[in-house]
Amino acid sequence: MSSLVGFLSLVFAIGINFYLFLSRYIFKFQKQKFNLFIRFSSLLTLLSFFSLMYAYVVSDFSNYNVFQNSHSNKPLIYKISGTWGNHEGSMLLWLCILSIFSFFFSFTKNIEDNFQKLTLIIQAFLHILFGLFIVFTSNPFLVNSILVNEGLGLNPILQDPGLAVHPPILYAGYVGYSIVFSIAIAGLFQNTDDEWLYVAKKWSLISWTFLTGGIALGSYWAYYELGWGGWWFWDPVENISLMPWIAGLALVHSLMMVRGEQAIKKWIVFLSILCFSLSVFGTFLVRSGILTSVHSFAADASRGIFILLIFFIITGFGFLVFLLKEPKKSNTLNLLFINKVSALVINNILMIIATLTILLGTIYPIIIEVLYNKRISVGGPYFNSTVIPIMIPGFLLMSIAPILSWQTNKINNSKKYVLAFIILSVLVILQSYFLDFNTWGFVGLLLGFWIILASIIAIFSSYKIKINIKFLKIINPHIAHIGVGIAIIGITCSSVFQNELDFNLNEGDKFNVNGKTVLFEKIETTNEINFQSLRGKFLFDIEKDQSKEIEAGKNYYPVSKMITSEAGILHQWNKDIYFILGDQKNNEWFVKVLINPFVSFIWLGVIIMMYSGLIAVSRR
Amino acid sequence: MNKIFILTPLIVLLIICIFSLVYLLSGKDPNKPPSALLNKDVPIFESSSLYNAKDIIKTKDIKNKKTLINFFASWCSPCKIEHPLFFEISKKYPELYLLGFNHKDPTSDAKKYLEDDGNPYDFVGVDSDGLIALEFGVFGLPETYLINEDGKIIYKFMGPITMDILKNEIEPLL
Repeated sequence: MSSLVGFLSLVFAIGINFYLFLSRYIFKFQKQKFNLFIRFSSLLTLLSFFSLMYAYVVSDFSNYNVFQNSHSNKPLIYKISGTWGNHEGSMLLWLCILSIFSFFFSFTKNIEDNFQKLTLIIQAFLHILFGLFIVFTSNPFLVNSILVNEGLGLNPILQDPGLAVHPPILYAGYVGYSIVFSIAIAGLFQNTDDEWLYVAKKWSLISWTFLTGGIALGSYWAYYELGWGGWWFWDPVENISLMPWIAGLALVHSLMMVRGEQAIKKWIVFLSILCFSLSVFGTFLVRSGILTSVHSFAADASRGIFILLIFFIITGFGFLVFLLKEPKKSNTLNLLFINKVSALVINNILMIIATLTILLGTIYPIIIEVLYNKRISVGGPYFNSTVIPIMIPGFLLMSIAPILSWQTNKINNSKKYVLAFIILSVLVILQSYFLDFNTWGFVGLLLGFWIILASIIAIFSSYKIKINIKFLKIINPHIAHIGVGIAIIGITCSSVFQNELDFNLNEGDKFNVNGKTVLFEKIETTNEINFQSLRGKFLFDIEKDQSKEIEAGKNYYPVSKMITSEAGILHQWNKDIYFILGDQKNNEWFVKVLINPFVSFIWLGVIIMMYSGLIAVSRR
Repeated sequence: MNKIFILTPLIVLLIICIFSLVYLLSGKDPNKPPSALLNKDVPIFESSSLYNAKDIIKTKDIKNKKTLINFFASWCSPCKIEHPLFFEISKKYPELYLLGFNHKDPTSDAKKYLEDDGNPYDFVGVDSDGLIALEFGVFGLPETYLINEDGKIIYKFMGPITMDILKNEIEPLL
């Protein structure tokens, strides 16, 4: 029953969007009526999504999708997240978020009616494309042809609280760019005043913030669930989320800087189209099964071709409009040797080069396989040695960009900065001299600290310190950059200064980690609702009264016959001690301990960046 | 000049789409990477029987007969799925030599597995340290190779074989 409701409301929603799309040419509408229709179709799409969720919650195995991906003895949260833990459901989530964005956009005030309408018509067009994709190739409401009373279960690796919320947030980022895309295209068509830039800024900030959160959640999940001790692997799936993120970053900065310059406006339109294109491209790569990863649920060529077509239509349409309709002529670019505009331009160029470098590395294996029928994989070494050096000058520039002037080459208080930089360099040199020297470590630390220091100096020397919301808004760009600085320090330390220790242990053995004695207490196996767990219990720092207990081990999921590793992590502010329980051999357990310094800084930096994103949304 | 600049994204888009389309249409499957070993000689191996350590099989022992090599393990659940198909193959093609390699498995588990599910193989070789699998370039279990009379690998499949694959891809080669 719920499947029928879901399917009908989905089809009905697509129908309404089709009607709205035609309204541009055939039936003319009043604004109110038009908005009412848009909201109604959004609610229908939501209804469709919630019917599927309901089927999951009550374990309605007459729905084929639920049967394939759920199991009645799963905890409720994973029944809910099971809704998007599969290809069909996740595409419905995609569509649902698209609708939600249209819904909220229809409430935007202070913009021209025609412009708003056109934006929503483009949204309706996107809704139709993805809606048809779902109906024809990925219908989550198919009825199960056999009568069953139990389902096949959700991929155990996805049964994790972090991963339950990761897809909706990430999608909110990806799909949020659809609004930015629609706004940019509508802006090109209408070619009116610059009002659309402010609207676009708000929405691109929202999308970017969500995307940041989604990527961070995914990588935090990889950190503690995959049990490899790292949090970023340059996996194709990570890369395709990073590309719209970097392009989105360039877009946000351009939008903040624009003062009516024609060249930048053109560039903004380009970036808006690019961001959404990259999002759709990512969806294509993951959903077509061209890439194998935990994200590709099923490989099906017809789906791949359909979504490739969607990608082609959207991107082709976007860039074609861009080619044919140029933004209205206005001010020219005020480029000086070093002012805000030139810093922005340089930074944008760097970000685009970085994006293209990642794009090349990601699609290169596909090209090679088509041309030479050979499989290669492009991994960490390529990206580390190309993307990072490209970004470094950008980071340097970023530390001083907010204090540059618009009109002149002058930097206020330049002496202070030079002095601070010299002192900092000496300190970092001393640090690397007395501890272990590593070029990347040196560069990373210097950059990270410099960005933080320069931002702090800028805050103190340029503004009167007050504690109120207005002040927080004014210094927001500096805060965002401090977040980046903190994240850079975390990234540098955790990757360059990571320490690995291997042990072969019996229960009851004591061993030494970082000068602290650790006791390998015992191995414990228990039966949980939907898995069996094997845990090694460790007591960290037993000489102290408050020794900490760490559990590391594995889960075995009988329904899907899969084993997942569960790393045991002791979080401290300055380092994570990361325990991995390996296999048992000759009655000894293999235990790997990784010491990851300053990992918490990465998450802290990300949280600061997201905070800044949100503050910036409210700032005009 | 300016137009060319703006045209670039469209050209890049076209290139990406063409390559992706060719990739999708050529029926390439991430689960079936093109094997460097295809049409090459079988790697040199030597393995003892699961049931009798003195019974040794070497590369030259499978010369002059068509051989189907299957890597399996008791802990590998997809292997269980394809397992019954090997009985069908051995019934239908009695002259085909079925060689199973038991991959990184305790002997007792492997024996129990073949007791419970039956043993379709003409010979079960032990690959306890996974070195033979390494020589064959095994990605993950199960994996199946077809070797012709000249000792060349003529077919490789990653993952559990299905009725479809057996009918459409393996049988035409037999």
